[in-house]
Amino acid sequence: MAGNFWQSSHHQQWLLDKTDLIRDRQHDLNILTEEEYQKIFNFFASIIQALGEQLKVRQQVIATATVYFKRFYARNSLKCIDPLLLAPTCVFLASKVEEFGVISNSRVMTTCQTVIKTKFGYAYGQQEFPYRSNHILECEFYLLENLDCCLIVYQPYRPLLLFVQDMGQDDQLLTYAWRIVNDSLRTDVSLLYPPYQIAIAALHIACVMLGNESQKSWFAELNVDMDKIQEIVRAIINLYEMWKSYDEKKEIQGLLAKMPKPKPAPQR
Amino acid sequence: MGDNFQNNKTMAPVMMDYDFKVKTQNERSKVEDLFDFEGCKVGRGTYGHVYKARRKDGSDTKDYALKQIEGTGLSMSACREIALLRELKHPNVINLIRVFLSHTDRKVWLLFDYAEHDLWHIIKFHRAAKANKKSVMVPKGMVKSLLYQILDGIHYLHSNWVLHRDLKPANILVMGEGPERGRVKIADMGFARLFNAPLKPLADLDPVVVTFWYRAPELLLGARHYTKAIDIWAIGCIFAELLTSEPIFHCRQEDIKTSNPYHHDQLDRIFNVMGFPQEKDWEDIKKMPEHATLVKDFKRSNYQNCSLSKYMDRHKIKPDSKAFSLLQRLLLMDPNRRITSEQAMQDPYFTEDPPTTPDVFAGCPIPYPKREFLTDDDQEDKSDSKARQNQQQPNTQQNQVQANSHDHGANNAKRMRMAGPNQGNNATGGGQQEFHQQQQMMFGGQQQGGQSQQQPNFQQRF
Repeated sequence: MAGNFWQSSHHQQWLLDKTDLIRDRQHDLNILTEEEYQKIFNFFASIIQALGEQLKVRQQVIATATVYFKRFYARNSLKCIDPLLLAPTCVFLASKVEEFGVISNSRVMTTCQTVIKTKFGYAYGQQEFPYRSNHILECEFYLLENLDCCLIVYQPYRPLLLFVQDMGQDDQLLTYAWRIVNDSLRTDVSLLYPPYQIAIAALHIACVMLGNESQKSWFAELNVDMDKIQEIVRAIINLYEMWKSYDEKKEIQGLLAKMPKPKPAPQR
Repeated sequence: MGDNFQNNKTMAPVMMDYDFKVKTQNERSKVEDLFDFEGCKVGRGTYGHVYKARRKDGSDTKDYALKQIEGTGLSMSACREIALLRELKHPNVINLIRVFLSHTDRKVWLLFDYAEHDLWHIIKFHRAAKANKKSVMVPKGMVKSLLYQILDGIHYLHSNWVLHRDLKPANILVMGEGPERGRVKIADMGFARLFNAPLKPLADLDPVVVTFWYRAPELLLGARHYTKAIDIWAIGCIFAELLTSEPIFHCRQEDIKTSNPYHHDQLDRIFNVMGFPQEKDWEDIKKMPEHATLVKDFKRSNYQNCSLSKYMDRHKIKPDSKAFSLLQRLLLMDPNRRITSEQAMQDPYFTEDPPTTPDVFAGCPIPYPKREFLTDDDQEDKSDSKARQNQQQPNTQQNQVQANSHDHGANNAKRMRMAGPNQGNNATGGGQQEFHQQQQMMFGGQQQGGQSQQQPNFQQRF
């Protein structure tokens, strides 16, 4: 599925308004500060990335899974479904949609266990991954419902490739911009802006980082709303600023403890 | 459900918030609450079951098709079907209205508009009529209109980089009476077929359901990727079948369970119709994975006198007609030379008389019966089904026998004709055309034409 972004559910249903987004998060933002909220998402994006890498899926699958995750919590509080369960569920669903192939239940489980233990011990201590494959399957139905069955997600990678080609630029710029697009998954931009704008913003940041002045005219000739591009640039730069003074290994346990959690059925 | 998930030794987490769960449960509509479809199964196959459904609340009286996907949960093909159909919108592509997830039995239901007809049934009807030396009155331009709309739908899919991968008459639906009367709807894309392993999933399917008749020669020679050209070949096959009422590459299908793409008998059949490809006609044939097997198994000299024009001429399609010329461009052996859907739509065939019509029946009465309900064997003595069958199936005895003997998908399902107000199919709506001018036999007086292929070994989907 390609080339039809303007008629897509992504464009028509899933480019959210910033004020709506903040309003829908109010429940969580009564408990967490915006920065804490972002740090928690940053953490679960890392889990999705690690699961995807361990399963050797393409970056496209990881990006789609991350957007599913963000879309779910754009409409629901963190307490509705434990994000530690939703994260692998998103990878599982995205790998099917992107035709990576079906990952067997047992492989999903082993991967979750390995990744949580080896890569995120600093957050979960010695605890095992607490869910089983039937939990993921049940969670998948809830995820699909909450996504309103919109499963095709447009990513900035394809427009990025086209833009770099159009610039006649080298691989270094592409590599930088590609990584910035990956980083942008840790922000809200994929919920707020169309992927081609994110690609342009990533290119813009990459050019600045590389001290590449020669592309000024290329940007100047673009027929895009540069205010939007600047907003995306700011969101990504804010992330980098936050990272400078953030030690996830020290803070994450406290953040996870503070995070709103699902409540069980009332005891009879 | 969910509640037993809370007893975990290590972290004892609650996976889902109780209030959230209750709230979504209350908001979720159940397919059986909204729709009546019990006893209304109209299709059964590897994809699952299809029911003809009506809204319970009577907010509209339209017919809907409810597809219950085979198996439980979200298979990759279910995911792909939902993901793509959610995005696709074209008058000639089936429209997914809604998805129902049944959490208790983990079944997935898809709601579509109901299409009363499909090319499998339409062609079957014509074959039966031909065998009975009866003619079927249909508008002159019907085949052309059907082909044009198939091409239009496929062009849309192809321009969105969606390949159908499983085009055959049973997957080409045609709308019955109603606002979309006589409109083609392409359905049942082969959503789960991987680009890099196109044949693997086929081996897992019920062997009888898989047909090789519409498979392009490059697939039979081991091509590893599905392409747009493969869909175009299948459209060529369907076009030929519409023109002659015979599957052009009909082939017995016994050893079909093999997962090997190479299929000797099917290739033999193609060469028997088309002739053996000359090197200049298909230069890259040498690069096909199974080329060595081809060279070993086949002798060019055996196909010396075969050609598409001779085959079609035997079926009363003149080699100098525009229909033939377009058919030839769709059925080019070399996939690189086969025309695209866009080029096909520009073909002079579509500008010559008779013109295409948005209603392929051009306002004329629809001669084809409505879909029959399938019932399971264990329900067979249900009251009046046999009586109805006798009463409402005049004249289709032979047709019925043929259908049942090849009715793989239905497990010898008993069939009964649907009782409906429009049983006579004497519809009137939408006919701007002068009936008598338009009307002509689709297969005009050529009963002897098909004598060589007596067994109507068609695929049965619905």
